[in-house]
Amino acid sequence: MSIRIGIMSFAHLHAEGYIQNLRAIPGVEMIGLADDDPQRGEHFARLFGAHRFRSYEELLEAKPDGVVICAENSRHLPLVKLAAETGAHILCEKPLATTVQDAEEIVRTCRQAGVLLMTAFPMRFSTPLLEVKSRLDGGELGQVYCFNSSNQGELPKRHRAWFVDKALAGGGAIMDHTVHLVDIMRWYLGSEVNEVYAVANRIFHADEVDVETGGMVWVTFENGVFATIDCSWSRPPYWPSWGGLSFEMVTERGAVWVDAFRQNLTVFTHTLQRPYWAFWGSDPNQAMLEDFVQAIRAQRPPRVSGEDGLRAVEVVEAAYQSVQSGQPVRLQRRAL
Amino acid sequence: MRVGIAGVGFMGSTHAAAWAETDATIVGFVAETVEEAQPIAQQYGAKVFAEYAAMLEEVDVVDICTPTHLHVPMILEAAARGKHVICEKPLALSTEDALKAVQACRQAGVHLFVAHVVRFFPEYALAKQLIDQGQIGRIATLRLLRGSYRPKKPVGNWFLDEKKSGGILMDLMIHDLDYARWVAGEVESVFARKVSAVHQGSPVDYGLVILKHRNGALSHVAGAWAYPPPTFRTRFELSGDRGMIEFDSQATSPIESLIIKSHAEAPDVGLPSSPVRESPYTTEIKEFYAALKESKTPRVTAEDGLAAVQIAAAAVQSAQSGQVIYLESLGEGRL
Repeated sequence: MSIRIGIMSFAHLHAEGYIQNLRAIPGVEMIGLADDDPQRGEHFARLFGAHRFRSYEELLEAKPDGVVICAENSRHLPLVKLAAETGAHILCEKPLATTVQDAEEIVRTCRQAGVLLMTAFPMRFSTPLLEVKSRLDGGELGQVYCFNSSNQGELPKRHRAWFVDKALAGGGAIMDHTVHLVDIMRWYLGSEVNEVYAVANRIFHADEVDVETGGMVWVTFENGVFATIDCSWSRPPYWPSWGGLSFEMVTERGAVWVDAFRQNLTVFTHTLQRPYWAFWGSDPNQAMLEDFVQAIRAQRPPRVSGEDGLRAVEVVEAAYQSVQSGQPVRLQRRAL
Repeated sequence: MRVGIAGVGFMGSTHAAAWAETDATIVGFVAETVEEAQPIAQQYGAKVFAEYAAMLEEVDVVDICTPTHLHVPMILEAAARGKHVICEKPLALSTEDALKAVQACRQAGVHLFVAHVVRFFPEYALAKQLIDQGQIGRIATLRLLRGSYRPKKPVGNWFLDEKKSGGILMDLMIHDLDYARWVAGEVESVFARKVSAVHQGSPVDYGLVILKHRNGALSHVAGAWAYPPPTFRTRFELSGDRGMIEFDSQATSPIESLIIKSHAEAPDVGLPSSPVRESPYTTEIKEFYAALKESKTPRVTAEDGLAAVQIAAAAVQSAQSGQVIYLESLGEGRL
């Protein structure tokens, strides 16, 4: 039996990749998409030759096994509620929500409805990052001491205007680029964050946006590991790619430098008149969507949970508190 | 101009080589023991002094290349005798001591220059120049990294004695803390952690510092004594609202050696090196020499050395206490 999946909203640009990832999975039927912005929905339905449902309700009436939610960050919760009610399993774009309260409600809603909830943290499926995880677990790196990490990018505004709209995105660079690295470190360490310190500014693109565009977040874990995350939108639009995710992990035996997107060709072309990086590594989104589908098929938890999404949002919320107060913030973890 | 050099370790011998390229006369050396100073004195046809005070009698300027905890008393003694001072970084281990040194030299009317050599490395100097030209606009974020292995010494490894060197934040990372301030301006707050404060007796050390500058810029400074010898790696990424500059010592190394060695030898202290016509240490000493001769201001002053100590000392305090340290202004009132 094929697994039937629909996409709810194309607000997030990742939907453009996910639709193709879904179609590449044998045994998956991509039933179509719905979008509260009919023009956007129509545009992408045409572009990908996909069926467009006139509403989310109509999409859900088609009884998909699972849905992928790619709405604006602050609009995840209502779509999760709609979908969970109908028993559809959910893959939700990151960040899970813009507030801890919403994230918690998303997790509880899915639990009560008995549907699977996966947070879209594709870096858990990145082959370089998996390789590091297996070396860590194999013991060859010894005890981890700290991380010096970055998830910098260009201003995402040219992809979608709402990314820099505080009401829809929940914030700026901190909201956008903190959660992946927090999640990777929680996954590597098996420990939770207990303190957050953050600084931010708005110097990049100061005349274009009113959210923070520069940020550095400091997290300390219960096991004593400390880490910095540079989440800035510091890459100029003529950088060879959108940005990247990299870190230095320091252990008792030295350090490991990891760049999740280094498997590139450097391409020089007359059309662009500047070099760009063409990625030839394995697509982590593909592996993530395959895990979602397999989780539905086997009725097992996906490799990234809703709780993982919530924990990352807790760090983001604490980071904004710290920016306000200028002091480190003790993290209050929600019991689930 | 007559120069006396105190300390004959790596930095003393490097400075001696640099002085030899100026018109100044190296009068002599002083070290912990007369024996230690013998070979280098012979090499430069200079004397060995048994006592620092005796050397001061015969020179116009003293170049202090001793372990950090000895800097301030030696500066005070030189100032008292009216001698100019060049002092290796860090100027002192505490802000109070650094202030004392700066004040003493001011009162004595002698110059005090602090050897923050990173400002003289061509890659760092060029980046600063490009920023001053406005090529990347207003500075928003700086990322700086300096990484090597733990300094080793045949005897008495003062680098590892935090009371003498200040540890990784004060000894190694002060280079980039100074550079961040040079590029992005005065610092408002400091937050720092280091591995050795969390794990006593850890085989490696690593420090992280986040600075908030008064103009809103943010700096991220990382320092490693964690890499396998003979690694010495530096990186920076300077981002402004109109562009960015990046540098990686490994990526810009013009020579990559794939020569098979039976065993790798590493110097006691990891050192940056890229083949350039003039050693940055020589550029530095020449600039200090010219400044003394012509009474010009070099690119790094006593006040810069003091400010760097203040930032690094705040980092040490933050790493110990877990608190954000807000810096007091070190304005003219205190000087």
